[in-house]
Amino acid sequence: MTEATDLAERAGDRDPRVGLRAVAALRRLLEQLEAVQVRSARHQGWSWQEIAAELGVSRQAVHKKYGRH
Amino acid sequence: MFERFTKDARGVVRAAVEHAERAEASSVDAEHILLALLDREGSRASFALTSLGVTGAGKESVREAVAEARRRAGLSQAETAALAGLGIDVSEIVARVEEVHGVGAMSGGRKDMGWWSGRRSFGRGAKQILEASLRTALARGDRHIGDEHILLALTARPGFPAEILADHGVTHESLIRVLFGGGGEAKAG
Repeated sequence: MTEATDLAERAGDRDPRVGLRAVAALRRLLEQLEAVQVRSARHQGWSWQEIAAELGVSRQAVHKKYGRH
Repeated sequence: MFERFTKDARGVVRAAVEHAERAEASSVDAEHILLALLDREGSRASFALTSLGVTGAGKESVREAVAEARRRAGLSQAETAALAGLGIDVSEIVARVEEVHGVGAMSGGRKDMGWWSGRRSFGRGAKQILEASLRTALARGDRHIGDEHILLALTARPGFPAEILADHGVTHESLIRVLFGGGGEAKAG
Protein backbone atom coordinates (compact mmCIF):
# COMPACT_ATOMS: atom_id res chain seq x y z
CA MET A 1 0.00 0.00 0.00
CA THR A 2 2.78 2.41 0.92
CA GLU A 3 4.53 1.62 -2.35
CA ALA A 4 1.36 2.41 -4.30
CA THR A 5 0.85 5.72 -2.48
CA ASP A 6 4.49 6.55 -2.96
CA LEU A 7 4.27 5.87 -6.68
CA ALA A 8 1.09 7.89 -7.03
CA GLU A 9 2.81 10.81 -5.37
CA ARG A 10 5.78 10.57 -7.68
CA ALA A 11 3.74 10.00 -10.83
CA GLY A 12 4.12 13.64 -11.77
CA ASP A 13 7.89 13.78 -11.43
CA ARG A 14 10.54 12.38 -13.72
CA ASP A 15 11.37 9.18 -11.89
CA PRO A 16 11.95 6.69 -14.75
CA ARG A 17 10.80 3.85 -12.53
CA VAL A 18 7.25 5.22 -12.51
CA GLY A 19 7.19 5.70 -16.26
CA LEU A 20 8.65 2.27 -16.99
CA ARG A 21 6.29 0.56 -14.61
CA ALA A 22 3.37 2.35 -16.24
CA VAL A 23 4.50 1.07 -19.66
CA ALA A 24 4.84 -2.50 -18.38
CA ALA A 25 1.41 -2.28 -16.73
CA LEU A 26 -0.09 -0.88 -19.90
CA ARG A 27 1.31 -3.80 -21.87
CA ARG A 28 -0.30 -6.24 -19.44
CA LEU A 29 -3.58 -4.39 -19.69
CA LEU A 30 -3.33 -4.42 -23.47
CA GLU A 31 -2.72 -8.17 -23.54
CA GLN A 32 -5.84 -8.79 -21.47
CA LEU A 33 -7.93 -6.45 -23.59
CA GLU A 34 -6.72 -8.14 -26.75
CA ALA A 35 -7.58 -11.57 -25.37
CA VAL A 36 -11.08 -10.41 -24.43
CA GLN A 37 -11.72 -8.93 -27.86
CA VAL A 38 -10.28 -11.86 -29.81
CA ARG A 39 -12.36 -14.29 -27.78
CA SER A 40 -15.46 -12.20 -28.36
CA ALA A 41 -14.82 -12.00 -32.10
CA ARG A 42 -14.33 -15.76 -32.35
CA HIS A 43 -17.59 -16.28 -30.47
CA GLN A 44 -19.31 -14.15 -33.07
CA GLY A 45 -17.89 -16.29 -35.82
CA TRP A 46 -15.10 -14.05 -37.07
CA SER A 47 -12.30 -15.76 -38.98
CA TRP A 48 -8.68 -15.48 -37.85
CA GLN A 49 -8.05 -13.52 -41.03
CA GLU A 50 -10.69 -10.93 -40.15
CA ILE A 51 -9.43 -10.59 -36.59
CA ALA A 52 -5.82 -10.25 -37.78
CA ALA A 53 -6.78 -7.56 -40.27
CA GLU A 54 -8.46 -5.46 -37.56
CA LEU A 55 -5.50 -5.91 -35.21
CA GLY A 56 -3.06 -5.05 -37.95
CA VAL A 57 -1.07 -8.27 -37.56
CA SER A 58 -0.67 -11.40 -39.66
CA ARG A 59 -3.21 -14.21 -39.51
CA GLN A 60 -0.43 -16.56 -38.41
CA ALA A 61 0.49 -14.30 -35.50
CA VAL A 62 -3.01 -14.13 -34.09
CA HIS A 63 -3.69 -17.82 -34.68
CA LYS A 64 -0.44 -18.84 -33.03
CA LYS A 65 -1.26 -16.73 -30.00
CA TYR A 66 -4.90 -17.63 -29.55
CA GLY A 67 -5.57 -20.58 -31.80
CA ARG A 68 -6.61 -24.05 -30.82
CA HIS A 69 -3.81 -26.23 -29.55
CA MET B 1 15.75 -29.36 -9.33
CA PHE B 2 12.53 -31.02 -8.07
CA GLU B 3 14.36 -33.92 -6.43
CA ARG B 4 15.55 -31.47 -3.79
CA PHE B 5 12.02 -30.32 -3.00
CA THR B 6 10.53 -31.45 0.27
CA LYS B 7 7.12 -33.14 0.39
CA ASP B 8 5.53 -29.83 1.36
CA ALA B 9 7.24 -27.96 -1.49
CA ARG B 10 6.08 -30.58 -3.99
CA GLY B 11 2.61 -30.31 -2.51
CA VAL B 12 2.65 -26.56 -3.14
CA VAL B 13 3.72 -27.04 -6.75
CA ARG B 14 0.97 -29.63 -7.31
CA ALA B 15 -1.67 -27.48 -5.62
CA ALA B 16 -0.60 -24.44 -7.65
CA VAL B 17 -1.29 -26.40 -10.84
CA GLU B 18 -4.71 -27.36 -9.46
CA HIS B 19 -5.49 -23.73 -8.61
CA ALA B 20 -4.55 -22.69 -12.15
CA GLU B 21 -6.75 -25.45 -13.59
CA ARG B 22 -9.68 -24.48 -11.39
CA ALA B 23 -9.30 -20.84 -12.40
CA GLU B 24 -9.14 -21.92 -16.06
CA ALA B 25 -5.92 -19.92 -16.29
CA SER B 26 -3.72 -20.40 -19.31
CA SER B 27 -0.61 -20.97 -17.19
CA VAL B 28 0.44 -21.51 -13.60
CA ASP B 29 1.36 -18.09 -12.22
CA ALA B 30 2.68 -16.54 -9.03
CA GLU B 31 -0.79 -16.08 -7.58
CA HIS B 32 -1.55 -19.79 -7.92
CA ILE B 33 1.60 -20.52 -5.92
CA LEU B 34 0.40 -18.03 -3.31
CA LEU B 35 -3.04 -19.70 -3.10
CA ALA B 36 -1.35 -23.10 -2.81
CA LEU B 37 0.86 -21.84 0.04
CA LEU B 38 -2.23 -20.57 1.88
CA ASP B 39 -3.82 -24.04 1.73
CA ARG B 40 -0.83 -25.71 3.33
CA GLU B 41 -1.08 -26.92 6.91
CA GLY B 42 1.61 -28.07 9.31
CA SER B 43 4.44 -26.96 7.03
CA ARG B 44 7.26 -24.44 7.53
CA ALA B 45 5.51 -21.87 5.34
CA SER B 46 2.26 -22.43 7.18
CA PHE B 47 4.10 -21.90 10.48
CA ALA B 48 5.60 -18.65 9.18
CA LEU B 49 2.25 -17.34 7.96
CA THR B 50 0.62 -18.21 11.28
CA SER B 51 3.46 -16.50 13.19
CA LEU B 52 2.83 -13.35 11.16
CA GLY B 53 -0.88 -13.44 11.93
CA VAL B 54 -2.13 -14.76 8.60
CA THR B 55 -4.58 -17.40 9.80
CA GLY B 56 -8.29 -18.06 9.11
CA ALA B 57 -9.68 -14.58 8.41
CA GLY B 58 -6.30 -13.28 7.28
CA LYS B 59 -5.99 -16.07 4.72
CA GLU B 60 -9.49 -15.34 3.46
CA SER B 61 -8.58 -11.68 3.12
CA VAL B 62 -5.50 -12.62 1.06
CA ARG B 63 -7.63 -14.87 -1.18
CA GLU B 64 -10.13 -12.05 -1.74
CA ALA B 65 -7.34 -9.60 -2.57
CA VAL B 66 -5.95 -12.09 -5.11
CA ALA B 67 -9.37 -12.46 -6.74
CA GLU B 68 -9.73 -8.68 -6.86
CA ALA B 69 -6.28 -8.24 -8.42
CA ARG B 70 -7.10 -10.90 -11.04
CA ARG B 71 -10.22 -8.94 -11.92
CA ARG B 72 -7.99 -5.89 -12.45
CA ALA B 73 -6.12 -7.77 -15.19
CA GLY B 74 -3.58 -8.99 -12.62
CA LEU B 75 -2.20 -5.50 -12.06
CA SER B 76 -0.76 -4.66 -8.66
CA GLN B 77 -1.82 -1.52 -6.81
CA ALA B 78 1.58 -0.02 -7.62
CA GLU B 79 0.99 -0.70 -11.33
CA THR B 80 -2.54 0.65 -11.14
CA ALA B 81 -1.14 3.79 -9.49
CA ALA B 82 1.51 4.13 -12.20
CA LEU B 83 -1.21 3.93 -14.86
CA ALA B 84 -3.31 6.48 -12.96
CA GLY B 85 -0.28 8.76 -13.31
CA LEU B 86 -0.76 8.51 -17.07
CA GLY B 87 -4.44 9.30 -16.70
CA ILE B 88 -5.53 5.69 -17.18
CA ASP B 89 -8.21 4.53 -14.78
CA VAL B 90 -7.89 0.73 -14.65
CA SER B 91 -11.08 0.21 -12.64
CA GLU B 92 -13.02 2.24 -15.21
CA ILE B 93 -11.63 0.09 -18.04
CA VAL B 94 -12.41 -3.12 -16.16
CA ALA B 95 -15.94 -1.88 -15.40
CA ARG B 96 -16.63 -1.09 -19.05
CA VAL B 97 -15.23 -4.37 -20.33
CA GLU B 98 -17.21 -6.30 -17.72
CA GLU B 99 -20.35 -4.42 -18.73
CA VAL B 100 -20.08 -5.87 -22.23
CA HIS B 101 -18.23 -9.15 -21.66
CA GLY B 102 -19.27 -10.15 -18.16
CA VAL B 103 -17.68 -10.05 -14.71
CA GLY B 104 -14.17 -11.49 -14.68
CA ALA B 105 -13.64 -10.88 -18.40
CA MET B 106 -10.30 -9.22 -17.68
CA SER B 107 -9.07 -11.93 -15.36
CA GLY B 108 -7.35 -13.88 -18.13
CA GLY B 109 -9.42 -17.05 -17.77
CA ARG B 110 -10.16 -19.01 -20.91
CA LYS B 111 -13.23 -20.76 -19.63
CA ASP B 112 -15.62 -20.00 -22.44
CA MET B 113 -13.29 -21.17 -25.16
CA GLY B 114 -12.33 -24.48 -23.65
CA TRP B 115 -8.93 -24.23 -25.30
CA TRP B 116 -6.81 -25.09 -22.37
CA SER B 117 -7.96 -28.52 -21.45
CA GLY B 118 -4.41 -29.85 -21.44
CA ARG B 119 -1.87 -29.63 -18.68
CA ARG B 120 -0.94 -26.11 -17.56
CA SER B 121 2.62 -25.07 -17.98
CA PHE B 122 4.40 -22.83 -15.53
CA GLY B 123 4.44 -19.18 -16.53
CA ARG B 124 7.63 -17.16 -16.45
CA GLY B 125 6.85 -15.61 -13.05
CA ALA B 126 6.10 -18.96 -11.44
CA LYS B 127 9.27 -20.49 -12.90
CA GLN B 128 11.31 -17.60 -11.57
CA ILE B 129 9.86 -18.14 -8.11
CA LEU B 130 10.79 -21.82 -8.12
CA GLU B 131 14.29 -21.02 -9.35
CA ALA B 132 14.66 -18.29 -6.71
CA SER B 133 13.52 -20.73 -4.02
CA LEU B 134 16.41 -23.00 -5.02
CA ARG B 135 18.85 -20.08 -4.83
CA THR B 136 17.44 -19.04 -1.45
CA ALA B 137 17.93 -22.54 -0.08
CA LEU B 138 21.48 -22.72 -1.47
CA ALA B 139 22.35 -19.29 -0.08
CA ARG B 140 21.23 -20.39 3.36
CA GLY B 141 23.09 -23.66 3.11
CA ASP B 142 19.84 -25.62 3.34
CA ARG B 143 20.03 -29.03 1.69
CA HIS B 144 16.38 -29.14 0.74
CA ILE B 145 13.94 -26.73 -0.75
CA GLY B 146 10.93 -26.39 1.49
CA ASP B 147 7.70 -24.48 1.01
CA GLU B 148 9.18 -21.71 3.21
CA HIS B 149 11.80 -21.11 0.51
CA ILE B 150 9.02 -20.82 -2.07
CA LEU B 151 7.20 -18.32 0.15
CA LEU B 152 10.42 -16.33 0.63
CA ALA B 153 11.01 -16.26 -3.12
CA LEU B 154 7.43 -15.14 -3.71
CA THR B 155 7.82 -12.13 -1.40
CA ALA B 156 11.09 -11.13 -3.07
CA ARG B 157 9.48 -10.80 -6.49
CA PRO B 158 7.61 -7.64 -7.56
CA GLY B 159 3.96 -8.05 -8.46
CA PHE B 160 0.58 -8.22 -6.86
CA PRO B 161 1.06 -11.48 -4.90
CA ALA B 162 4.01 -9.99 -2.96
CA GLU B 163 2.16 -6.71 -2.61
CA ILE B 164 -0.89 -8.43 -1.13
CA LEU B 165 1.29 -10.43 1.27
CA ALA B 166 3.07 -7.22 2.35
CA ASP B 167 -0.32 -5.62 3.03
CA HIS B 168 -0.91 -8.52 5.42
CA GLY B 169 2.42 -8.10 7.18
CA VAL B 170 4.24 -10.83 5.26
CA THR B 171 7.42 -9.43 3.73
CA HIS B 172 10.77 -11.00 2.92
CA GLU B 173 12.24 -9.43 6.06
CA SER B 174 9.42 -10.45 8.42
CA LEU B 175 9.62 -14.01 7.05
CA ILE B 176 13.37 -14.22 7.59
CA ARG B 177 12.77 -13.05 11.14
CA VAL B 178 10.13 -15.66 12.03
CA LEU B 179 11.76 -18.48 10.07
CA PHE B 180 15.40 -18.01 10.93
CA GLY B 181 15.33 -15.46 13.70
CA GLY B 182 18.15 -13.46 12.15
CA GLY B 183 18.54 -10.35 10.04
CA GLY B 184 17.74 -10.19 6.35
CA GLU B 185 21.05 -11.58 5.15
CA ALA B 186 19.80 -14.19 2.70
CA LYS B 187 17.92 -12.43 -0.05
CA ALA B 188 16.19 -14.47 -2.69
CA GLY B 189 16.59 -13.67 -6.25
